[in-house]
Amino acid sequence: MKASLLDALFIALTFMVFEAHTEESSPTTKMEFNRDIRPILSDACFHCHGPDKNTRKASLRLDLPEEAMKKTESGVFPIVPGQPEKSDLVRRILTDDKDERMPPTKAHKVLSTAQKKVLRKWIEQGAEYQIHWAYLPISRPPIPRVSLNPVDAFIRQKLATENLQAAEEANKITLIRRVTLDLIGLPPTPAEVDTFVHDAAPGAYERVVDRLLASPHYGERMAVDWLDAARYADTNGYQVDRDRTLYVWRDWVIRAFNANQRFDQFTIEQIAGDLLPNSTIEQRIATGFNRNHMINEEGGVTPEEFLAEYTANRVETTATVWLAQTFNCTRCHDHKFDPFTQRDFYSLKAFFHNVSEKGVGDYSKPSNVSSPPFLPVPTPVVSAGLAAIQTEIKQAKQDPSSGAKERLSKLTKSLAEVEETVPVSLVMDEATPRETFILLRGVFDQLGEKVTATTPAVMPPMGDDLPRDRLGLARWLVDPSNPLPARVTVNRFWQMLFGTGLVRTAEDFGSQGEPPSHPELIDWLAAEFISSGWNIKATLRLLVTSATYRQSSKFTPAAHQRDPENRLLARGPRFRLQGEFVRDQALAASGLLMEKIGGPSVKPYHPAGLYEQVTEGSGTTVYVPSKGEDLHRRSLYTYWKRSVPNPAMMLFDSPFREACVLRRPRTNTPLQALNLLNDPTYVEASRLLAQRMLLEGGSSIESRLIYGFRLVTARAPRPAEITILKMSLDRALREFNADPKAAALFLKVGEATTDGKLDVAVLASYTNLASTLLNLDETATKE
Amino acid sequence: MNPNPFLEMTRRQFLGRTSTGIGAAALASLLNPQISAAQGVAGLPHFAPKAKRVIWLTQAGAPSQLDLFDYKPGLRSQYNKDLPNSVRKGQRVTGMTSNQPRFPIAPSIFTFKQYGKAGHWLSELLPHTAHLADDLCIIRSMHTDAINHDPGMTLLQTGSQVAGRPSFGSWLSYGLGSDNAELPAFVVMVSRPSGSGNAQPLHERMWGSGFLSARYQGVRFSAGKDPVLFLANSPGITPERRRAMLDDIAGLNRIKLDDYQDPEIQARIDQYEMAFRMQSSVPELADLSKEPASVFERYGPESRKPGSYAANCILARRLAERGVRFIQLYHRGWDQHSNLPAHIRSQCYDIDQPGAALVGELKERGLLEDTLVLWGGEFGRSVYSQGQLTETDYGRDHHPRCFSLWLAGGGVKPGAIIGETDDFSYNVIKDPVHIHDLNATALHLMGFDHTRLTVRNQGRDYRLTDVHGEIVQAILA
Repeated sequence: MKASLLDALFIALTFMVFEAHTEESSPTTKMEFNRDIRPILSDACFHCHGPDKNTRKASLRLDLPEEAMKKTESGVFPIVPGQPEKSDLVRRILTDDKDERMPPTKAHKVLSTAQKKVLRKWIEQGAEYQIHWAYLPISRPPIPRVSLNPVDAFIRQKLATENLQAAEEANKITLIRRVTLDLIGLPPTPAEVDTFVHDAAPGAYERVVDRLLASPHYGERMAVDWLDAARYADTNGYQVDRDRTLYVWRDWVIRAFNANQRFDQFTIEQIAGDLLPNSTIEQRIATGFNRNHMINEEGGVTPEEFLAEYTANRVETTATVWLAQTFNCTRCHDHKFDPFTQRDFYSLKAFFHNVSEKGVGDYSKPSNVSSPPFLPVPTPVVSAGLAAIQTEIKQAKQDPSSGAKERLSKLTKSLAEVEETVPVSLVMDEATPRETFILLRGVFDQLGEKVTATTPAVMPPMGDDLPRDRLGLARWLVDPSNPLPARVTVNRFWQMLFGTGLVRTAEDFGSQGEPPSHPELIDWLAAEFISSGWNIKATLRLLVTSATYRQSSKFTPAAHQRDPENRLLARGPRFRLQGEFVRDQALAASGLLMEKIGGPSVKPYHPAGLYEQVTEGSGTTVYVPSKGEDLHRRSLYTYWKRSVPNPAMMLFDSPFREACVLRRPRTNTPLQALNLLNDPTYVEASRLLAQRMLLEGGSSIESRLIYGFRLVTARAPRPAEITILKMSLDRALREFNADPKAAALFLKVGEATTDGKLDVAVLASYTNLASTLLNLDETATKE
Repeated sequence: MNPNPFLEMTRRQFLGRTSTGIGAAALASLLNPQISAAQGVAGLPHFAPKAKRVIWLTQAGAPSQLDLFDYKPGLRSQYNKDLPNSVRKGQRVTGMTSNQPRFPIAPSIFTFKQYGKAGHWLSELLPHTAHLADDLCIIRSMHTDAINHDPGMTLLQTGSQVAGRPSFGSWLSYGLGSDNAELPAFVVMVSRPSGSGNAQPLHERMWGSGFLSARYQGVRFSAGKDPVLFLANSPGITPERRRAMLDDIAGLNRIKLDDYQDPEIQARIDQYEMAFRMQSSVPELADLSKEPASVFERYGPESRKPGSYAANCILARRLAERGVRFIQLYHRGWDQHSNLPAHIRSQCYDIDQPGAALVGELKERGLLEDTLVLWGGEFGRSVYSQGQLTETDYGRDHHPRCFSLWLAGGGVKPGAIIGETDDFSYNVIKDPVHIHDLNATALHLMGFDHTRLTVRNQGRDYRLTDVHGEIVQAILA
């Protein structure tokens, strides 16, 4: 990044993970702008004294040193380096005079005494500014101890400064379950666990990792997070919320991850695959990324209004996913905290504004073809069928006989019918050049100045050799001189494995985002990611083979008191699985999981009546569950209707998929408990798991219990646990023997069949036990 | 409960932290659902509230202000005349009528009378509501930015046309927590028209929690054995069997807790206990069988049909009695682009008597004084007819520039009339009230400064009223 541009880039912040640092600092501690000062100034001051010229008060901006240090209109100097007593900023934050005090009361921002001291001390120490860390070029810091895995070297260095010690390695069983759930989103089988436990040769763990990275389920697991980022869904989202066809794009994502496509190429194909020279069908399918936004088909809407929505959504999504910058702010005005302008927003929009789309879907057409552009993607069988009909049509046309005319009309009709069954995938094109204007206050019909396709002014410029279209934009994004995409992406990998990113605010690397907990590490990882050839699997391998990742996740009082959120990683990660994997794990453990990859979305069990209450029109207004194997596909294939998203997934914090989401919350609620206890999905899985225990778990009660426990948690139960499980089974068996009707009812839940020769009360009691296992905290948790 | 000293320490740590938005609230409640149930976020509400709970009677599809509340006797003489350009001023109309050659004025065919000391003009379609006239504060000068249902309802509920912001109810449950640990703080009930009304679809996002934690999203109550999703035990599982199983789960989880010391495990144990309590408290709440016959008579014939708006009104009262913070009813079917006279009659049959019964009952039981009741839709309807206009029939298109809405209860000035529209019920000419103003005022009644109920998301402090909203003083008692 050019130095002249860097001058303009000064900002960031927030939460108080390391607040102790500033509050406990001794008089000699050196204040650092990015760590100590920017968070305060950004949050409390920049709104009126920052980048947005339209809301700037008293012509004063504190985000740039030369501005903050010059004489103001009222003749004072806000900041005089080394001289806090002469700095008006210090006077204004300390004064008791309500009319003078900054920030003013109406801003609802109050500086703490500690923050005031920090600001004063920083000025006293010379008021040195720093460029916002995320905009600096990626450095490749030296590894503190080259004998260690680089991740461990950085993490341990910080632990040492905090007087904390890394935990010991987790036991092998915990470890294989952890890494298997993380990399493929499924539990390890007992056989996989045994193989690993008995593999005493060096590199046993690495062999597991390599096996997982080569698994076709790896792509499915990686796709889940990408679908959140891409706001993927199976319906249009607005009003009647009809179906769309984009699963072909979803399957492309799975294939791309499995093929370990370079992340830069993965980026280019999704943003501009259609513009690549001699682009392939696959590359055009990839551009579905930018058609995942909602599409309105409501009668009476103004097309321009929604065209403005779609293009804005593409800008915001692109800026969030690759840059972690909050461009949505600049849709209506210059950014309040970060150095981006409204012009930047609309200049980016110009890249996405030439698609041959209408702004409004055509409600009179079948929903899969109502919103061009789209690409027909027939299966080979359908292609052959189409070709055959076309040949016949040709022949019929040349046929002078009397019956030919009738045959021709029949053939034409069947051609149309078959064509309607051809899957399509929404794609991008560049077929309708449009002029782009700044929209005043973001309102679609309030046109301001005309703009052309350009990247944000403060970022590294687009090379002269790059075309000013989406392809140029994509290449610019992943140019190694752009410091953001690599940092942002490795941070998301970190978040996926450790629960929280090195930068907690994965979606905001701006001034208001949180600075990284380990600044050198995120840079080293970003540099390594680029130099590895944007190799995703290699990066994940590096992370999961670190000792940091492999630590035991047991809490210790000392570490927990010092670092309650485990940001310093004195222990391994332990947190609840995403909803998809909670369900997938139950299906896998019970043997129900249907491992087919890709294809149209499916409809697993779903409470009756939910759609009928709220739906209307010609969309999917009644939920009809699938039959057979489609009931047991992995959860990422579940039909996602935006207006009524899958309720079980929503209970486990799935986003609506209306906008890009890079970080799901992780709640723990009674409604989740009810779901795991009573949803037919889990009652059926419990029955099938019970059957496995009875048929595959040996002949003793104990061996069956151990087998079931291992299927779910990978480990064998301890004696105290076996005692509870045995008593539980005994009691359930007594009760179901006394009430065979109840047992029979319990076993009727779900479509999957169980062996009719099994005793009803026995199977019911084991089913009850299996349900207990599927409801354990440990089961829903990666630990 | 596990009086584990280590967990106690953890709890103190979490609670002792300064409020950093979602984090602190969520973490505190993770450690003890009772705490969040009682307290919500530390420091909230900002001042003593006038209302402790909200019942939002949302009329989805946009009821016609011209046929219900906004009496325009002068329009009779304008029948079938063109809407003057001086009124429309070239303003945007929807694509459904923008191609009409004319905009013929359609006066309401319904008669209006003045009611109560307040002298509210109300149409003959609302005879029961009319009895309550002196309890109602009617705003005739509501206006909005949206002209289509989906963005309009999203704006009404979340303060933004763009999907993804938290809904009003989730803001309140975030800010206040629940008064009842065994029920969700934010409950939603949806009903369909009993007649053939033109129903618009609704979206879960309208009661979603946006970027707030999912724990604050509205919980949909449905008629039937499972009022809350997955509440009922699986067939064949008795409450005793479930209790036994929960004890086993808790026993196993405690072994894990002793080993790992993760407070999240204690939280899970507590959540399972709360789930069990909900399994008895929710069915008790949803069971209307013990309501006396007089109640059903009061709420009207539809009230005996589970899932009807009328039955939901009875449930709303029961929820209010049990301390639920935000009770939201949606009644669909108001989108009367054609055959308005017939359809609005049937809609009013659905909502008039039950709504009046609800307010009346709240009043008699002493609940109205601290319950804020709102009634209204996402926008208004046009004075000009959509489609064929006859002496007895017309349709009305969407109209964002004015609509009517009423409030009653906690802190609301009874009998007040706010705002005025022009002779065509087209433009607001006095005291305009934007949705943001309404929300600012409602939050004020709930004890919040709407400019300070904020949550940080993507680097910005968001609020229900975005950067807008003025408290409407005339609404306040």
